[in-house]
Amino acid sequence: MTAMTAKTTSRSLLGTAIPYLLAILASFAAAGIFIALMGFDVLRAYSTILFTSFRTANGFIQTLLKFVPLLLQALAFTIPLTAGKFNIGGEGQLLAGAIGSTAVGIAFSHLPPALLLPLVILAGVAAGALWGLIPGWLLYRFGINEILTTVLLNFVAFSLVNYVATGPWRDQGAGHPMTVAIGEGGFLPMLINNPPLNAGIIVAIIVAALVYFYTTRTVAGYELVATGANPRAAKTFGIKTRLMFISSLVIAGAVGGLSGALEVAGVQHRLIEGMQSNFLVLGLIIGLIAKGNNLAVPFIAFFISVLEVGASAMQRTLLIPVEMVFIVEALILVFVLLSDVVRRR
Amino acid sequence: MVILRMEGIRKAFGGVPALDGVHFELHPNEIHGLLGGNGAGKTTLMNILFGLYRMDSGDVFLHSKKISISAPRDAIAQRINMVHQHFLQVDSFTVLENILMGAPLKESLTMRFGEEEKKIAAIQKRFGLEIDLGATLGDLPMGTRQKVEILKALYRGVEILILDEPTTNLTPQEVDALFLSLREMVKEGLSIVFITHKLREVLSVCDRITVLRNGRNVTTLRKGEAPEEEFVRGMVGEEMNLEKSILFSGIRESRAAPLPGGEALLKLEGAGLRTADGLQRLKELSFEVRPGEIFGVAGVAGNGQTELAELVLGLQPPTAGRVLVSGRDVRERTTAQLLGEDVAYIPEDRLHDGFLPKANIAQNLILGAQRSRPYSNGWLIDWKTVFASAQEMIAQYHIKTAGPGEVGGNLSGGNIQRVMIARAFSREAPLLVAHNPTRGLDIPSMDFVYSKFLERKAAGRASLLISEDLDELLLLCDRIGVIYKGEILGILPREKFEKYAIGQLMSGVRREA
Ligand SMILES: Nc1ncnc2c1ncn2[C@@H]1O[C@H](COP(=O)(O)OP(=O)(O)OP(=O)(O)O)[C@@H](O)[C@H]1O
Ligand SMILES: [Mg+2]
Repeated sequence: MTAMTAKTTSRSLLGTAIPYLLAILASFAAAGIFIALMGFDVLRAYSTILFTSFRTANGFIQTLLKFVPLLLQALAFTIPLTAGKFNIGGEGQLLAGAIGSTAVGIAFSHLPPALLLPLVILAGVAAGALWGLIPGWLLYRFGINEILTTVLLNFVAFSLVNYVATGPWRDQGAGHPMTVAIGEGGFLPMLINNPPLNAGIIVAIIVAALVYFYTTRTVAGYELVATGANPRAAKTFGIKTRLMFISSLVIAGAVGGLSGALEVAGVQHRLIEGMQSNFLVLGLIIGLIAKGNNLAVPFIAFFISVLEVGASAMQRTLLIPVEMVFIVEALILVFVLLSDVVRRR
Repeated sequence: MVILRMEGIRKAFGGVPALDGVHFELHPNEIHGLLGGNGAGKTTLMNILFGLYRMDSGDVFLHSKKISISAPRDAIAQRINMVHQHFLQVDSFTVLENILMGAPLKESLTMRFGEEEKKIAAIQKRFGLEIDLGATLGDLPMGTRQKVEILKALYRGVEILILDEPTTNLTPQEVDALFLSLREMVKEGLSIVFITHKLREVLSVCDRITVLRNGRNVTTLRKGEAPEEEFVRGMVGEEMNLEKSILFSGIRESRAAPLPGGEALLKLEGAGLRTADGLQRLKELSFEVRPGEIFGVAGVAGNGQTELAELVLGLQPPTAGRVLVSGRDVRERTTAQLLGEDVAYIPEDRLHDGFLPKANIAQNLILGAQRSRPYSNGWLIDWKTVFASAQEMIAQYHIKTAGPGEVGGNLSGGNIQRVMIARAFSREAPLLVAHNPTRGLDIPSMDFVYSKFLERKAAGRASLLISEDLDELLLLCDRIGVIYKGEILGILPREKFEKYAIGQLMSGVRREA
């Protein structure tokens, strides 16, 4: 009996992994044609993309540093997706979190680490949660589409960052709009000093584990899944679906805010205009490739981080534009979705 | 003469065969009943013919020519069309728009459909399918929506029309009207494949039947050539013992016993429901359901049955009067609490209101009970227990599935209904609200559900059985209340059950007291 279940699960695991591997292969092959047509060395390009992360300690740590915001951004997308809602506001939530963390980190810069660090992180989480609460409440109260509101709130966040980074806290010495550094008590401790790796990775992994636990083991998580699977049936059977929508957006906002807080406390130590990078889009791609499966998200996020770090190296050494990797990532997504359509028949 | 022949059709899903070398032949101008238990493979076979599934092996011949169909588009080009068991329509579109949707049209940009409208009107007249083309689909009752699908197929031009359980959502009158239309169609040269679980329909409308069981052919019979018993046996399968069945032999023990006593588990006191825009959905309902009673609600669909169920479940608070469950006003508790403590529910529309197609069977089986023991402690779900009891329910309620982890959407229509049944009956709740609980079930499963109702009765539990199947109500109920336009026009005790009287009440004719 146990052997049988083990066998079926391993088969279904393989069954799910194979389409992914095929999709990855197919997209590399397709992008390879482009690279070759552009007159570059395909093999060298790909070996740079895939192995930069593993050749040097620095490469690996770069990858982990990328992994943290990507993982959290992807989760900020997949949590509401579980309930059938689309959060396209991950970067707004990141920035809101970064603003919250920076504000607290500067205002209370004299506090000791034991106080300031938790405050900085909490402020970021709270600010992000607020950024999720607004679209959640608009959806709950007026039924306004969350895609629209989350996207619009990104722009509000951009303006806010601009306002804060060019306001009284501006670092006058820097050319680019950014604030002065937060108090040292708000810095995340280092796991390794050289090359530098902060403790953010541990926080991110714990959060990913908690999210997985929440959605698969708890009653609230079950109700979230049921709501996403069929909101009408969920409601008929007593689940407060609108509350599910709002809470999923608030949790997502908090996770998005945390990604901002960790960037501030761990990496930048200040608010910088443009610090959201392209994390939102990559987070969406990760979440979509994972098809909303929170267990798959960390693995795919890591894989995408490897590609991203490899891409910058490729640009530096081979002069191939980084956008090439973006094409590969998008192609993987397309092929994964395609394999779904094919398999269904 | 054969117009369509399917030969040696095989199809497996994830290694499990659903069709295993099936043969099927369709003659011109016939209504051909495709029969078999839930999960036998009827829908799968027809989905292959319609190009929705690809067969693993086998051949399809149309007019003795081998054809290959890889998408519905090909099937439609070959003049084959299908009305699905669970069809998809756009609620916010009009009937006309739904019919034209997906059709290749010259005027698709200008949206001037005058000519098409005339064409459709002509078809309507020919086959007696009267529907207002301008009506918004979402406002129409199920029976009419079904007609829209048939009209859509006819409009596209068909020679072979597949109807997958077209009568499940129809009232008896609508069924009669449909059969008249079908007869017209075969007269005009169509051939029809008709999937159903209802014996009476098979006997009254089918010229021949093909019976499948577990993905294999059992028999093909022609009406007139085989005795009726053989038809019946073909439908119910070899195993079913007709003597012992509730459905065929009725209920043995005397059912004229006095009404059980005890405090009512459900009590309505002048309960009414008025919508925000002033429509009176339910009016002054007063009745009670006592422990050990099966109380039936008869009526033509759309007369307030769904609202009544929603009232009892606390999904809509009454706007007048009171509803008491186990002596407590429903407004005191949330739906989640009611479901966790006192009530089990089988909704009418399983696919929309009762099922999570993207979730697995185990997740589906605990819907509504996710906060209660033994499945959870209120915070965490004990999946081990859930899977174990899901496994038990799958066995006990004969749900045909690979296991508790299988995605719900893979189940056949009747097996989805079995999930509804298993979920509701396994709760052993004091009160069961069951709305058309046997819809889409094969005959042995129906019989099984009836035995479950009687078990509840014997255990002193109360059941509110809302059904459009009068035979079912007459068979099981202690009392029947007839609902018409949101009002209970009369309540009859078992000894006064009479089909004609109930039929009168159902059409709104009140008896003089
Ligand atoms: N897409 C699918 N994926 C996996 N299994 C499937 C799929 N479609 C059908 N099956 C399985 O194939 C078998 C036959 O299903 P089918 O829907 O053809 O039954 P049916 O005869 O129409 O039954 P019903 O009377 O309940 O509608 C069932 O066991 C079902 O679970
Ligand atoms: Mg079917």
